[in-house]
Amino acid sequence: MSVSRRQFLATSGVLVAGTWVPDWTEAFQQAGAGKDAVRAEVAEAALARATALGASYADIRINRYRRESIATRERQVQNVSRSTSYGLGLRVLVNGAWGFAATNLVNAGAARTAAEQAVAIARANAALATRKVVLASADKAVSTWTSAFTRDPFEVPLDTKIGFLMKLNETALGVTGVSFVSSQILFVDEQKYFASSEGSRITQRLVRTYPQFSTTAADRSSGDFQTRAVVDRAKLLGYEYVEDYPWLQDAEKAGHEVVEKLKSKPVASGRYDIVVDPSQLFLAIHESVGHSTELDRALGWEANMAGTSFVKPTDAGKLRFGSKIVNLVGDRTQPGGLATTGYDDEGVKAERWHIVRDGMFVDWQTTRELAPLVGQQRSHGCLHADDWSSVPFPRMPNVSLEPAATEVSLAHLFSEIKRGLFIEGRGVSSIDQQRYNFQFGGAVIREIRDGKLGAMVKDAAYQSRTPDFWASCDGVGGPATYRLWGTSADGKGEPGQTNAVSHGCPPARFRNITVLNTAAL
Amino acid sequence: MLTRDEALKICETVLAHVKSAGADDAMVSLQNAIESHARFADNSITTSGRSEDVDITVTVWVGGRRGAITGNDAGADALKRISEEAVQIARVSPVHREYVPTLGPLDYPAARGFAAATAEVDLAARAAALQSALTACRTAKVNGAGFHTARATATAAATAHGNRRYFQTSHADMSVTARSADGTGSGYYAGDHFDLARLDAKRIAEQAVGKAVRSQQPKAIEPGVYPVILEPQAVSDLMGFLNNALDARTADEGRSAFSGKDGKTRLGEPLFHPQINLYSDPMHPELPAVPATNEGIPAARLSLIKGGVLENLTYARYWAQQRKLQPTPGPVNFIMESAAPPVSMDDMIKATPRGLLISRFWYVRLVDPRTIVLTGLTRDGLWWIDKGRISHPVRNLRFNQSVLAMLAPWNVQAIGAPQRLSPFMVPALKLGSFTFTSISDAI
Repeated sequence: MSVSRRQFLATSGVLVAGTWVPDWTEAFQQAGAGKDAVRAEVAEAALARATALGASYADIRINRYRRESIATRERQVQNVSRSTSYGLGLRVLVNGAWGFAATNLVNAGAARTAAEQAVAIARANAALATRKVVLASADKAVSTWTSAFTRDPFEVPLDTKIGFLMKLNETALGVTGVSFVSSQILFVDEQKYFASSEGSRITQRLVRTYPQFSTTAADRSSGDFQTRAVVDRAKLLGYEYVEDYPWLQDAEKAGHEVVEKLKSKPVASGRYDIVVDPSQLFLAIHESVGHSTELDRALGWEANMAGTSFVKPTDAGKLRFGSKIVNLVGDRTQPGGLATTGYDDEGVKAERWHIVRDGMFVDWQTTRELAPLVGQQRSHGCLHADDWSSVPFPRMPNVSLEPAATEVSLAHLFSEIKRGLFIEGRGVSSIDQQRYNFQFGGAVIREIRDGKLGAMVKDAAYQSRTPDFWASCDGVGGPATYRLWGTSADGKGEPGQTNAVSHGCPPARFRNITVLNTAAL
Repeated sequence: MLTRDEALKICETVLAHVKSAGADDAMVSLQNAIESHARFADNSITTSGRSEDVDITVTVWVGGRRGAITGNDAGADALKRISEEAVQIARVSPVHREYVPTLGPLDYPAARGFAAATAEVDLAARAAALQSALTACRTAKVNGAGFHTARATATAAATAHGNRRYFQTSHADMSVTARSADGTGSGYYAGDHFDLARLDAKRIAEQAVGKAVRSQQPKAIEPGVYPVILEPQAVSDLMGFLNNALDARTADEGRSAFSGKDGKTRLGEPLFHPQINLYSDPMHPELPAVPATNEGIPAARLSLIKGGVLENLTYARYWAQQRKLQPTPGPVNFIMESAAPPVSMDDMIKATPRGLLISRFWYVRLVDPRTIVLTGLTRDGLWWIDKGRISHPVRNLRFNQSVLAMLAPWNVQAIGAPQRLSPFMVPALKLGSFTFTSISDAI
């Protein structure tokens, strides 16, 4: 882009320079964020009432969520919106059964009412329980934790953010053949206060930045069109992520890619050796490993919605999950990870642990309720609720594939392939309810011929079965090829909740995988 | 729940604040919801809760610039704060090029589809309903998992140009998944209604249990192209993708399944079987909906597909203005039905020499928007039909199938009676061919 940012703003309708909304931060603070004394008083009222009514355990989350969203298409801003949501959610254990109540009224009276409602719900349901809830022990924590960021996105002027998106759009539209560009950026600020009847008191702040965009090329004469979406880049970072990452380079690349995609030849269905880039492999890890190793699924607790798992509750230490070079870790401490936190939503300190070691499945994702059910004394800290009004339940940590111990380049992975495909970016993903059979697409797919990267193909999707797929993995990239991508809206549970979670990985090679031409079916 | 007067008073307060702060135009919308739910799994209650919230969204325009903010505090100070902040956002935003003045006073039909008792669930009655479902599962020695939820919502909106509206709606639904003890059979059934009293927990559980028992020990068949019968649940699992493609702007821009060649759309083309009708109707007795679109256009019956012909695409206010058309009075729900008398499930099965009976689909995703190719898997009940009778259960399969090809004039063989599966009313369909690409080991 040769147009300067100032010139660009002057021509794009963004005329008010250097301005921001001063009351934004101020109003947020005034409204109660950081007011631990107020929240502590409300929490004490709720916990005391719940305990007095017979709860053997209770915890409360008093959370404020702040979001700012900007959406654009081509050379215009479609929407600038902000939201705040503040409320409390109280969880109680009575006669071994859970009850939960939540309200947007944050005061001692409303908290006591919520405690009464939660206890009544638990009592009414206790007769329906054949298993009484037992919680693994947890350390009492009195702590404050803030995610790492250097520039608070909520203190960055609005026109700076709009200018970024407009320049990104202009860069992609500068590529001949690009018909449409849409881009969005979302900033999320979670200010969480947790208190339990066991004495934990935890204050946390998490800031996430979600940039995404897509380019479309349409051939109006033939009615054909293709899209290249870049939607996996969210991180637990501040506005420095917008400034430091080469977004314009990606936008120009996505422009060229979508134009090439529209003209590319359809893939020939068949068996291929494939190299999957981190921008696609993160999603394969998410679907085939992340969800299959959730213990609540293996126990049947998600049978009515997300499904169960091909991994059985007794499989830890016994099930071969993949080839010996496959090592996967659960990690709620990974820098930048969307599921990274200081403490989970029942006050368990974040940690890192192996889920698959040397190809063997060795451990689960657990909570305080789940851990004892597989004979474990401690939770791995995977309880999460997406809102103050949501019941906390087991959610995925960052689950990441470890790179090779020594440097292995992408070119090296290609070099040992005679006929293959290199798959980048998010395409369509679909997997069965026990996480066996999956079909994943890619945003950009190129041929590999005799070890060299070749032309782009379209309409390709790869299908496999989770244990077969990971068993076929015979190459992973080295530390320098490792990337962390994530998904911002992972759905699970009833009522449905969304979770943001990241997966780090190097590119990896998989042998003899079925590839479909989805347009020829 | 907030009454009409209470809700509109909040809206009016915000309108007054934004006017004082300098807004030229504004819309305030409010949603107050009370939700109660209970989950069970492995034949035991798991989690259960209740929540209540108020969301207030104010959108303002100042000199053609737009700002929007949502908050959940209806206190006097908070209302003033979000009002002023919305104006501040607008002042520093670029000109909103798709601004359409907010609506003035309009008459709306009275909303149907609200049952007051759905707002506050009787805990003892719900426990009894859940117990009946759990008993059905335990008696049949299957593992039951399920979800019961009831929600009541008051929505209100007011604009600077005098539009005022307030609706109450309620929704209750229950679903059960039953899995056989040996892990080889699984069944699912769901029901929903706006009136919690119309939800029959025991019947829903019994349907799921029956499917679990009948689907045990499935046999594998080769992936390929088969005739199929889709139960209404399976049809509803695909319907959203067809409905999403009906947006006029996307079609006009050349990036939808209903975009034609040379910049045209496919309006008026007989793309579907001549007995297929698809429409939206807020007054439908079984599936009443809020009688206004999200933009506030009074909803009325809107025909989308009639006699297999693509009759209408859906126009939001801005795009309608650009095309010099009226915004469409919907959709607010989707009802698919046959122009001919419906065919019963039994008759469909009897008329099938060989094929598959499909209960539902899972993890359905859009593979190719050009022809609405979807992929996904069968789940919770798949059977082989041989010579007009259900023969045996079949292992689950992955499909890759175009919705346009599925509903094409040559592929639809019979259409059943529509069943409420909110926000759809859809029939069972008997189809000549459906493409499966691999086997799934999942039960």
